[in-house]
Amino acid sequence: MGKEKKNEPIAEVDYVDRNVVNIKSVPHVWDNQALTRLSLAHNKLTEIPPDIADLVNLEILSLWNNQITELPTSISTMSRLKILNIGMNRLSVLPRGFGSFPSLEILDLTYNNLSEKSLPGNFFFISTLRALYLGDNDFEMLPGDVRNLTNLQILVLRDNDLLMMPRELGDLQKLRELHLQGNRLTTLPPEFGALDLVSTKSVLRLQHNPWVPAIQEQLDARGCQGVWEYIRSENYKYFYGRQEVSNTPVPPKRNKDRKISRQTAKTTC
Amino acid sequence: MAPGALDSSAVNGNNGDIAQLAHGFENLFCNRCSEGFGVNDQVVNSSGQVWHSDCFVCAQCFQPFPDGIYFEFEGRKYCEHDFHVLYAPCCGKCNEFIVGRVIKAMNASWHPECFRCELCDKMLADIGFLRNAGRALCRECNEREKAAGAGRYVCHKCHAMIEDGQHIKFRGDTYHPYHFKCKRCNIELTTDSREVGGELYCLRCHDTMGIPICGACHRPVEERVVTALGKHWHVEHFVCSVCEKPFLGHRHYERRGLAFCEAHYHKQFGNICFKCGDPCGGEVFQALQKCWCIKCFGCSFCDKKMDQKTKFYEFDMKPACKRCYDRFPVELKKRISESLKDRDAEESRRRSMSPGTKNAV
Ligand SMILES: [Zn+2]
Ligand SMILES: [Zn+2]
Ligand SMILES: [Zn+2]
Ligand SMILES: [Zn+2]
Ligand SMILES: [Zn+2]
Ligand SMILES: [Zn+2]
Ligand SMILES: [Zn+2]
Ligand SMILES: [Zn+2]
Repeated sequence: MGKEKKNEPIAEVDYVDRNVVNIKSVPHVWDNQALTRLSLAHNKLTEIPPDIADLVNLEILSLWNNQITELPTSISTMSRLKILNIGMNRLSVLPRGFGSFPSLEILDLTYNNLSEKSLPGNFFFISTLRALYLGDNDFEMLPGDVRNLTNLQILVLRDNDLLMMPRELGDLQKLRELHLQGNRLTTLPPEFGALDLVSTKSVLRLQHNPWVPAIQEQLDARGCQGVWEYIRSENYKYFYGRQEVSNTPVPPKRNKDRKISRQTAKTTC
Repeated sequence: MAPGALDSSAVNGNNGDIAQLAHGFENLFCNRCSEGFGVNDQVVNSSGQVWHSDCFVCAQCFQPFPDGIYFEFEGRKYCEHDFHVLYAPCCGKCNEFIVGRVIKAMNASWHPECFRCELCDKMLADIGFLRNAGRALCRECNEREKAAGAGRYVCHKCHAMIEDGQHIKFRGDTYHPYHFKCKRCNIELTTDSREVGGELYCLRCHDTMGIPICGACHRPVEERVVTALGKHWHVEHFVCSVCEKPFLGHRHYERRGLAFCEAHYHKQFGNICFKCGDPCGGEVFQALQKCWCIKCFGCSFCDKKMDQKTKFYEFDMKPACKRCYDRFPVELKKRISESLKDRDAEESRRRSMSPGTKNAV
């Protein structure tokens, strides 16, 4: 590159698949106030320094497929961050105050080791959030606080260990994509019937759960449309009310030993 | 020990006068050794008593007093150092010896400048203090504490106590209402005032503002109120500006001061971009039940830009570029392909099970 314009500020940095171990070694990032987009996907980062918050104009940050085990508390002070992708890492906990992002719209935490115990108290207070990706984690239940994500349109909980869904999710009027396949769910709260999830613009995935026979039959015969009509019925409300008190046996968890997010020591290649 | 001399009074160093023996001292005896004085002996004379100069020493270390300064306690004289070690009190705050004025209070001794009100830090030595819950407080702070303890409020502006029930709350603090005027009619406020949006209003003004007026029919909204476009609406009067159907709590879109249902918003202004969240102007890329501005379409994982011709894969209904898909862990790819197979099988079974529908190709 012979002719590099000297005064042109660099707004976007892609440093993908470059074996980066130390984020500080990535050029054109630090002391670059103009940076709005940074992708460090497919590297070997294990930690993110608190200085990440100095990138005050960053709007999009991808750390997909690294080996990150911990995030700094400062990350949630990044006031312009709209899209944060930390999927395919080794997170088992999120830092204190993680829910205080002021502008975050899309948060991808797919394929980590997160559960309801990993979340700080304010996690569900990111009111600007449009899409939350939590697939391939270890959630057994979802806190009712989820009702505070009033702008949520997309929620992915595919392949977790969920046993039950909170009624409060039924309050999220804007939800039009819900992925629940691959969990341990047997029923859904009747309140979910209020959600607009079976129109042509919606996505609803329910497969691979140990559903009660009445739901499974609907799913087999008429798909999600059938299930939704069923859970909206008076019959189902009565059934669900009784179901809650009886203790049905707990279905077993899927074996996740092969997940790469479970590896603790760095594998040398 | 109960040294009266130490109690709030001065203990000053004294200078012993060393004088050459003059006539008339023949009948005197040294206060320490009780011997008489020879002609060439130096005599020390202090407050009417005399010593051989060798006998005029510290009662503790038996050394002469540096610069002749000594401290007297219960008839004995000490050098400054030993006096401090033996008798000078330590300050309850700074832990240093106190020489000079000692304040005895709260079961301890203090330098006058160390004994201060625990709340406002005012020096208490000369103004006196009041004991309040184990703390030494000045009169004002004590009053305030007493008032607070009795459920009375202290005005955040004038710091005087407020009569029972005569306070107002404003931005979290309590005040006398008469420090404020109604934001709207400027009348001096009473306890009947109300805070709205960080401003105070008299009750009359509050009430006329308080009942929302519907932006469509201009009548007051008494039941459920919808707030949008900076106005209030009856639920059934808040409608799409094109089809005039009420939203009834469903999503609506705002643009140029008008509200639209999703279908009409898209018709008028195009689709909402999944990535940037703004309406996609002009050309739109549609896939996976989502829309993108042409400039916004890219891999959701590595953020690489893609166009309509780029091959991409679906993962959680997001687009993944080939590199990102190829680098998924093997165990994940296996699960993905199994669920795709299942989905196909279900689809075809469902088609065969419902007799009404034709088989689509
Ligand atoms: Zn001495
Ligand atoms: Zn002191
Ligand atoms: Zn006052
Ligand atoms: Zn007024
Ligand atoms: Zn009206
Ligand atoms: Zn309309
Ligand atoms: Zn866009
Ligand atoms: Zn990619």
